[in-house]
Formats: sequence, C-alpha cells, structure tokens
Amino acid sequence: MNGAVVTRAAVVTGLGPDLETTWARLLAGERAVRPLSADRFDAGRYTAQVASWIDGLESAGGRSRLFPLLEMLLARLGPVPADTRLLTATTKGCVDTFENVRRGRGGEMADVPLSAPAEWLASRLGLSRPGLNFNAACASSTAAIARAAALVHSGRADAVLVVCMDLVSEFVFSGFSALQALDPAGCRPFDRDRAGLSLGEGGAALLLMSPEHARREGMPTLGTVAGWGAANDATHITAPARDGCGLVQATLQAISKAGIAPADISAINAHGTGTVYNDLMELTAFRTVFGGRALPVHSVKGAIGHTLGAAGGIEVALGLRSLSARTVPPTAGFREPEIGAEGLVSASAQPVDGDYLLTTNSGFGGVNAALVLKRGEG
Amino acid sequence: MPQTRDIAFLTGIGWATTHGVGRGGANRDFAMEPGPLPPLSRKDVFDEPNPRFGRMSGYSKLGLAAVAFALRDAALDRFDARRPIALFAGSQLGSLSTDRDYFDTVLPENGGLASPALFAYTLANCFLGEAAIQFGLTGPGGVITEGAGSDGLGALRMALEGLAVGEFDAVLAGCCDFPVVPPLPGIETPLPGALFFLLEKATAPSGRPAYARLALREDDVVLHDGTPASGLAAIARTCLSSDQHPRGSQP
Repeated sequence: MNGAVVTRAAVVTGLGPDLETTWARLLAGERAVRPLSADRFDAGRYTAQVASWIDGLESAGGRSRLFPLLEMLLARLGPVPADTRLLTATTKGCVDTFENVRRGRGGEMADVPLSAPAEWLASRLGLSRPGLNFNAACASSTAAIARAAALVHSGRADAVLVVCMDLVSEFVFSGFSALQALDPAGCRPFDRDRAGLSLGEGGAALLLMSPEHARREGMPTLGTVAGWGAANDATHITAPARDGCGLVQATLQAISKAGIAPADISAINAHGTGTVYNDLMELTAFRTVFGGRALPVHSVKGAIGHTLGAAGGIEVALGLRSLSARTVPPTAGFREPEIGAEGLVSASAQPVDGDYLLTTNSGFGGVNAALVLKRGEG
Repeated sequence: MPQTRDIAFLTGIGWATTHGVGRGGANRDFAMEPGPLPPLSRKDVFDEPNPRFGRMSGYSKLGLAAVAFALRDAALDRFDARRPIALFAGSQLGSLSTDRDYFDTVLPENGGLASPALFAYTLANCFLGEAAIQFGLTGPGGVITEGAGSDGLGALRMALEGLAVGEFDAVLAGCCDFPVVPPLPGIETPLPGALFFLLEKATAPSGRPAYARLALREDDVVLHDGTPASGLAAIARTCLSSDQHPRGSQP
C-alpha cells in the first residue's frame, strides 16, 4: 500500500477543544468566527474585527498562548513512541511573545524562534531526537505531512508525529488588514460576494506510521495519507497564479503517488480562504484536473477561520473524519456560488460516495501542496 | 557501519556572507564568519535591471543572492521553461529582522500605519518564493528551523531524502540567516550569511562537473565523499579547496 497510516489525530479549533466537538459543530453549520475577545487586542483600526479564536486560551507565566494550545492537543493525543520523528509546522510560532516584548511587557524571547515549539514538544513527549519546524507559509502543515508520509513510505522512518499550530495575533491580523484581505462579515468561501479571509487559531497533532508498525504497536488506523504532492507556481509572492498551475501540478502528483486516477477522488477539502483570487484559482485548478465532474467541494474556513500553518493538519484530521462519516460538512458563510462553484460547493453537508478525498492548501511565496486521503478500514 | 549509496552530486555552490558574494567556479575565497554583512545591491547579484530586488527585505536579498550564485555556478541560472527544482533552506532566525521592522509600523496608531509591503516579507519562506519567480523553480520547498545545538544540516537532509525517494531530480539546499541589528536580548545569533548547494540526483547524472558526492546514512548522518559532514560551511570549504578536491566529472 502507498503512503502512511494515521493512527492518532488530535485537533483544537475555535469550534472546540477536540476533533469530535469540532466535527459535530461543523456538521451543524456553526461558526467560530466572531468578534475578537477584548483581552486579545484592539482591532478597532483594522478592516475587520472578527476571527475564530479559542475560548479560554490563556498565557501563563509570561509565556505564549501556544503552549496551552499544545497541552490541549497532547491531552487528547495519547502516548507517542520515543523513537518517533517530530515535525512541527507553524508560520509564526510564539508571535504573541514577540509582540509582548516589542510592547515592553516582557516575555521569554527564547520562545520566539520557530524551533521553540518543536524543542518543547520533544522534551515534553520524551522523544529520543529533537524535532524541527517546517515552514511553507499557509501550506506548512500540508507540506510537513507530505514529508512525513514520504519518510514513512520510503522506510526511512517508522513513525512521524506532525504537530501544527498558529495563533490569532495582532501581528498577522494587522498585516492582512493592511493588505485589504480581511472580510469584515466573516469569510465566505466560494461565494460570489466573498470579500476576503478570516483568521483563525488552532492546532492538530497527527501520528503517521507504516501499516506494519501500526499493527505492531496495536494502533488504530484512522485512514491513510495515500498520495502527496507539492509545487511552486513561480508567479507572485502574495497572489496565486490565475491558471492554478502550481495547484494542478501538486494535485496530479498526489493522485499519481496514490496510484489512482482523478476519477477516484470523491470529495475535495479546498483551501477555500474566501479571498477573490484564491478561490477562483482553486476552481480553475479543479476544473483542469477533474473536468466538469460535480464532486463535493468544501472549505472549513468559514467556520474555523484560516489557521495558517495549522490549516492543513486540521483539514487532514477533518478529511479523515469526512471519509469515515461519508459526508463533507457545510461550507459556512457560503450563499451564492461563484461562477464555476455551482453544484460543487454547498451550505449543507454533502454525501461522499467513495474512498478518496483530496485536501489542498496554498500560500504566500507561490506554494501549493496536496494530499490524497484514503478512508480507514475500521 | 550501515551501508549507503550516493544520493547526489553537488554541482553548484553559491554564497553571500560577511566576506561578500561568490560562487565556486569563479571564486574560491569562501568564508562564513561573524561580522556585519555588506549591503547587497542589485548589481552585486544580477547584471540586468531587476525591479523586485530593491523592494525585498534584507533576509530575502541575502537568500536570493546565494541561490542565484549557486544556480549560476551550475549554469542553470538562465532558463527557457520552468524547472521542477526543489528548494530547502535552514534558518534559525527566518524573517525575524523584518518581523521587528514590520511590527514597529503596527505599534503606533493602533495598527493604522501597518505596512503591507513589509508584511509580505514576514515569512521565513519569502525568499524561496522570490527565487522561484526569478528562476522558474516549480519544485517543492520550505524553510527548516532546528533547535539549539543542531548541526544545521536539516535542510540538506530533507533535500537528500527527497532525492532518494524520487520526489525530485534536482534541489537547492542550504541556509540563510540575516541578523537582527541591534540584537534582540535572549535571541542567540547564528552565523550571518547564506550558502546554497545545487544537488542533482546521482542516479540520473546530468554531466555537469561535480564538486562532491553526498549520501545519507540510515542513521541520518550526511556523508560528503564518504566522510561524515559536520556542517554546510565545512562541506563548502572542502569542495572549494581545489588542491584536495578538483571539480571533477560525474561518473
């Protein structure tokens, strides 16, 4: 079999502290995108005032909110073999600590380099080797999972833990506001009136293993990362290539690696940020790969916001849950389809008729990454 | 000792350090040492006008310069069609210098003066995107940040793993660190500068002259011509020591 099996998955999002709560609330069409809590920052001067944030996520001892977020993930992950490799994926890590220091409020600057969460996790989990962080903008965790699956598939690693995370911060919020890329009403992926993204915070932890190793360890199989691909569209730093060339290339690589044909893909978890150009690019790319086939396409970002480096990992966990339930959740915020989204995207849950789901992410710097997930046997 | 096979030929070396910019075939005076980085202008890197270069962050200019010289060293800097060359970089600080500059535009006026131009360069992978655009590189890529005490070979390992499992046939791998000046208290300052290698799959020789053979042992030790490598700069120094290792043909 191609790929690596996912034996454990933990998720925390604005919708809930675990995968099942997030899944149930997604299915119910709920949205965690809401006015920012006053204890985060004053968003009054920005073009939007909403985001998906995790209720009760408090910093302690002057350290970043990222560590309690990671504790929430670990509490639901369970033990990890000591020889597991660790890859983290975050775009800005402990950015709240950086902000506090620059504001003169103090903080632990040693937490600011992007390696800090990996070092903390490796120590906390008692792993035998240090981890490292992989940064490919908003496709960071998708690309990290692709690297992990490749390592397991090739036999270079028996088990790889991918932990992805990012916070809602004024640093990032102000930047997307300055780029006029935030939708004041909350993001509306693939809607013809969409006006930008909503930021979110969250994390995911996914334990990937070879099927043989999973059997030996007595681990369950939630599903398989069966194919993976990544490509740069080499077009623009902050905007996607309009023809979706990078996403097409990454998707075709992933499908080929899985040993299947495009016709075998039964649903798509799209990046679906709600920006005008991203969503158009994705529809163009999917049309190129899948022709006029009406397969269900959805985005979780209307509900949990764009969680940046965590997006791909959260979406893999939710994608495996979709395959298990044979249902993709509603696309929150979606009302009237963009041209090309008719019959693909829905404000209601859609059935999944098959065993393979494609999940994709794209980001600044022209990055595109795609994964093919296969339904678990259980 | 575990058996291993050569994974890559090292066919291009480029750098931008405190000693200036250079590439293996034209200048063997390579050093990666502490000190101030000289300012980089477009003319230091590109012969032709390049409207993007002047707008980039210092970190992006540094990384792009070293990538440009590595590609030039392998005669791959000019292209007719985009190429699936991958690009992996190690960086301890990433875009931290730009992060500071950007956030200093956020602090006054409650964010009302936040600079979108600076924000676009507040990701560690921003110069990878610039290199992809400049040189038509469509392969996968990313920035690896390892913890304190690492050997700094994480990006090179990821590149070799990708070559070994057939993810791509050519890859740029190296490091880029642009210091925050003045230093931020509590942040360890790595050696400033950027150094990149062009690696080509050993099982598909291109015929370009090679400086060295690289391999990855099962225990993750990087082998440079059969000897464990201690760091990227050490690999470059050995390759550029022409008396010991003349740039030879691929077998």
